[in-house]
Amino acid sequence: MTEENTDRVQMQDVYKDYGTNHVIKDVNLNVKNNEVVVLIGPSGAGKSTVLRMINGLETTTKGHILIDGADISQPHVDINRIREKIGMVFQHFNLFPHMTVLENVILAPVELKKADKATATAEARKFLETVGLTEKADAMPASLSGGQQQRVAIARALAMHPDIMLFDEPTSALDPEMVGDVLQVMRQLAQQGMTMVIVTHEMGFAKEVADRVVFFDGGQILEQGTPTEIFDHPKEERTQSFLNKVLQA
Amino acid sequence: MQRKSFVTGLFVILAGLFLTLWSAKPAQAAEKHYTIGTDVTYAPFEFANEKNQYVGIDIDLMNAIAKTEGFTVTIKPVGFNAAVQALEAGQIDGVIAGMSITPERQEKFLMSKPYYNVGVVMAVKQGSKIKSLKQLKGQRVAIKTGTAAANYALSVKDKYGFTTVTFDDSNNMYQDVTTGNSVACFEDSPVMQYAINTGLKLSIVTKPANPTGYGFATNKKNTELMAQFNAGLKKLKANGQYTKILQKYLGTGSKKSQAAANKKTQETDRSFFGLLKANWGTLMGGLQETLLVTVVAIIFATIVGILVGLLGVLPNAFARGISITFIYIFRGLPLLVLALFIYTGVPSLIGAKVPAFLAGIITLTLNEGAYTAAFVKGGIEAVDVGQMEAARSLGLPFGKALRKVILPQGIRIMVPSFINQFIITLKDTSILSIIGILELTQSGKIIIARNMEGFKIWTMVALIYLVIITLLTWLSNWVQKKVQA
Repeated sequence: MTEENTDRVQMQDVYKDYGTNHVIKDVNLNVKNNEVVVLIGPSGAGKSTVLRMINGLETTTKGHILIDGADISQPHVDINRIREKIGMVFQHFNLFPHMTVLENVILAPVELKKADKATATAEARKFLETVGLTEKADAMPASLSGGQQQRVAIARALAMHPDIMLFDEPTSALDPEMVGDVLQVMRQLAQQGMTMVIVTHEMGFAKEVADRVVFFDGGQILEQGTPTEIFDHPKEERTQSFLNKVLQA
Repeated sequence: MQRKSFVTGLFVILAGLFLTLWSAKPAQAAEKHYTIGTDVTYAPFEFANEKNQYVGIDIDLMNAIAKTEGFTVTIKPVGFNAAVQALEAGQIDGVIAGMSITPERQEKFLMSKPYYNVGVVMAVKQGSKIKSLKQLKGQRVAIKTGTAAANYALSVKDKYGFTTVTFDDSNNMYQDVTTGNSVACFEDSPVMQYAINTGLKLSIVTKPANPTGYGFATNKKNTELMAQFNAGLKKLKANGQYTKILQKYLGTGSKKSQAAANKKTQETDRSFFGLLKANWGTLMGGLQETLLVTVVAIIFATIVGILVGLLGVLPNAFARGISITFIYIFRGLPLLVLALFIYTGVPSLIGAKVPAFLAGIITLTLNEGAYTAAFVKGGIEAVDVGQMEAARSLGLPFGKALRKVILPQGIRIMVPSFINQFIITLKDTSILSIIGILELTQSGKIIIARNMEGFKIWTMVALIYLVIITLLTWLSNWVQKKVQA
């Protein structure tokens, strides 16, 4: 088993350019086992890009990203095998609209032969119970509320038994009254010791669950530390002004 | 790895498909058997009789010579231009189609001794005030492409100051005069006389000019067939069979006997339903061919279209390049040009025959396949990118993600386009009449070439298309409901 202090994710001197636009500049970020890291910062700061680089949805222009020691920018590394260990939850849920909730959850385990259909189904029901949606197993995604869809998306990611979970602004597209249910599910995961990287604007939630908060600005990490360090005693002026703006709102 | 095997798989399927189409070439003609091309619409030299068997002076002469000289022939009424081009391309062995012997043609082909002498006459609408070439100044005149009569008209065009409009078959040329779009047309005398005797409302107003002889043509190398034709013609003239054949179609010289000869080949009931009844078999035969071509073409075009469309969304620049190029070329080329290119252009390039049916299927497969590929590609691209990202982030390889997540959604977007494309394919088969495929439109042309009943026959043809398209639309809507439910 991975030890407590091992780095599951290592980003080393990572750069990302879109033509002449440098969106990520020299980012070094490690995520330890069981650690909950929350990325905050203004829009366009590169938080989501960094998150998407961790499972290879974005490529790097320069630098290395290691997942459990394997460099995903190397061609011989099977990115599909690595992704099986990394669950991802998107801002817009991205449920498969032509499948029922249950089919959404069992698709990957069955297709990738992680489980036979009966086992996968039994497990899927368990995950749906975890996110509080047992009764929606046979519903189509379009008939669910945003909050319900996002919780299905979390169950779908959990069904692959990931070691790491990535959350890309999971509550940004939700009506305010839906946010609580989703955060509650994420809180449970954190308590169970899931390694998580979260991009969010929910500062209260970040303060509560994060082991470490990382502040991004202009494609770079400006400062990082414990929630207390960042929220109560920010060192950088940019961090202070950002927090003032979001906390006032 | 997964992605690579998916790309390779697609290439293999595509390549296999083309090889199958390509290698379906027919065996070379056996010895002493020749394929002879002829016109569809050149009574009394070649036309379909009321039983829709091909008859006429050319046909009977060719068959009689074949019999005398001991070879067999298949005569294909593909249209004059198509026949000449097919001969050039080596698709057929000879052409007998009321073809005037001219120096230009002798340059290109071997031409036999003349088997019939004709002159060019000018015909006008009955009751027209125009009686001579001089009155054509500033008027429009109809001619048929590639004929000696057309060459004659073009040679005197500047002298008499008229303009010309060209048609691909005689009947369309005649109709242009009867409707008044053109004031006159030029045609070889016996053909014009025959059409008028059949009921065409035109009158011949000039004496036969520019006398030429009709000859049989082969390509330059085929001296054996040419020698046999000339020898056979000589024998038929000597034993009286030649005169018999002429009299069968032209009578004994008087207008009355010619009219009587004509009548034998015509329908007796000229009403809409009379004609429908008499030609029902031919029209249904044409419809059958249309449906066969449509179904086969739809199957191939759909397979090719889906494969090429999929190539267009692969994360591989080379595959996408192939897809874009395929769509660009075959969507860009007019169907007519593509059909003629494949039927008459490609054979001279690869040195082997491409049968009309195969050429037609390849044409439709490439053209409709390109359109299909474009909307398959578009349908896939219309699926939200988040779907692919979600599927890939779960660890699904590209191919699986495409099949399980993207395609099921893309297909729903594509269904209306597929239905539309099926209907277009059905209609596009009519263009294949240009390469002589005996489908519904071509069947209509042939019937009209005999009886000159353009309005009634085209009405029948149009109605048949409408009925079939209505049925296809119903079927498609039913399928659409099933798929999108």
